[in-house]
Amino acid sequence: MNRFLSSICRNINLTAFTRDASGQFKPCSDMPDWLVFFLVKQGDTGSYNLAEIFPYLSCFMEDAEQHWQAKRSEPLSSGIWIEIDELERELPLEASIMYLEGQEVLLLQQLGEKYTQDLSRLQQVRNSLLTQEMLESEVQRRTLEIRKREEEIAIKLVSLTSLRDEETGAHVRRIGLYAAVMAKALGWNAEEIDTIRVAAPMHDIGKIGIPDRILRKTGVLNDEEFNVMKKHTEIGASMLRGTKIPILNMAADIALNHHERWDGSGYPQGLLGEKIPISARITTIVDIYDALVHERVYKMAMPEEEALSLMQEMAGRHLDPHLMKMFLSLLPAMRRIRLEVTEESEEPSEEESLEAVCA
Amino acid sequence: MLQKKVCLLGAFSVGKTSLIQRYVNKLFSEKYLTTVGVKIDKKQITVGATDLSLMVWDIAGEDDFTNIRSAHLRGLSGYIVVIDGTRQNSFNVALALHERIKTELGEVAAVFALNKCDLKDQWVINREHIRTLAQLGYPVIETSAKLDQGVEEMFMGLARQLVPENSKA
Repeated sequence: MNRFLSSICRNINLTAFTRDASGQFKPCSDMPDWLVFFLVKQGDTGSYNLAEIFPYLSCFMEDAEQHWQAKRSEPLSSGIWIEIDELERELPLEASIMYLEGQEVLLLQQLGEKYTQDLSRLQQVRNSLLTQEMLESEVQRRTLEIRKREEEIAIKLVSLTSLRDEETGAHVRRIGLYAAVMAKALGWNAEEIDTIRVAAPMHDIGKIGIPDRILRKTGVLNDEEFNVMKKHTEIGASMLRGTKIPILNMAADIALNHHERWDGSGYPQGLLGEKIPISARITTIVDIYDALVHERVYKMAMPEEEALSLMQEMAGRHLDPHLMKMFLSLLPAMRRIRLEVTEESEEPSEEESLEAVCA
Repeated sequence: MLQKKVCLLGAFSVGKTSLIQRYVNKLFSEKYLTTVGVKIDKKQITVGATDLSLMVWDIAGEDDFTNIRSAHLRGLSGYIVVIDGTRQNSFNVALALHERIKTELGEVAAVFALNKCDLKDQWVINREHIRTLAQLGYPVIETSAKLDQGVEEMFMGLARQLVPENSKA
């Protein structure tokens, strides 16, 4: 190599090697001092096994071999790796290989300042990405907190009516969870799923405005009493309307429409088919399912098979047939909710150990 | 002596370099210095009756600017996927990396490290996340490079998978 090229190589901390028939690498430019420290380990033979000296290159040699065999002249980079020199300093290195004038060439460069600059740029970018991630996480945490509070308020509201009509807390929770499973299967986004999970349990909130003599009557309601009872849909909707809170808006829709029927024979408006908001159609199905398969003070629990057969008869008349079909396809998930969310079930402790969680 | 190549993988800034520094050199620095490229450290250990030389590859974290090269995974015997317990994104990256390795290399020894357990009050990784990891069938270990907690256990958890069953006694 002529002096001019040699001095260029020296200035950019680059050493050129050619590979001989035995696979050893022979330097064909001056060797910088930093490199001598590494090569000296293999003695002063004049040719070296670079993959042994720099273990990083072992993962690169397979690609290099293919590149040389294809006699490709464009450079192929190994990527950057770090070695520690005799002064315990980090040396950023990069190898490039190519096939030139019948020779298998490997260029080894100590990146020096260029690496430091790239590192500094990347450090800045990553620091700002970390800050961004932190801020997003904080926003998410606070949003969750707000959502949790909304949910607590909703549950408290529902509990007001539950006290009077003896609906259980577990029933209320299950209605939300069943509805969320349906919403997820329908492809709703996470926020909408969360909204119906909290909104669906409020469907009967209007019962708070129904007199005890009707609400708690054990016998069959007469026409006049039934007309009063029907009012709970409109009472509920008017209680929940008038805010900009999405959960309450959906809850109002559900409260107003959960007694509408697919064939238009429901109340209060006699809406037909898809005119009934989908959130209400979902709630109607899951509420009927849960009420049928659980015991109440006034009735025994119905076997699930019987309940489902009854609900299937209601599909197309009372219930949305498409949603009913979907509900049936989701039965395993619904059953899990039914069996796991009971009055006795308790939230597991947050302090559960890693071993217990992994067990 | 059995020589094995193991890699530490994960999103950027999860503490891969710190865990290796703690394990190999017993050092820890609070300052975050990003890694560019690959750094290889060696550690000799004994598992049962087997002497093992671990070649620990510290591979720069994944982000939009840096992707792990497939070449880096050649000859890999096992890997540790590091998750920063305070960052949800690092959990997602960990699952994606694990999936990628399974696709490229098949079943390989692995450990999931839930790092920064000294900051547990700030963790966003919850029981559900941990359950998801545990269901993948590999050890899940809580670690802190800062407190030197779980670090030895994490590497040994991987090393034990690398040694043939009859040599562990």
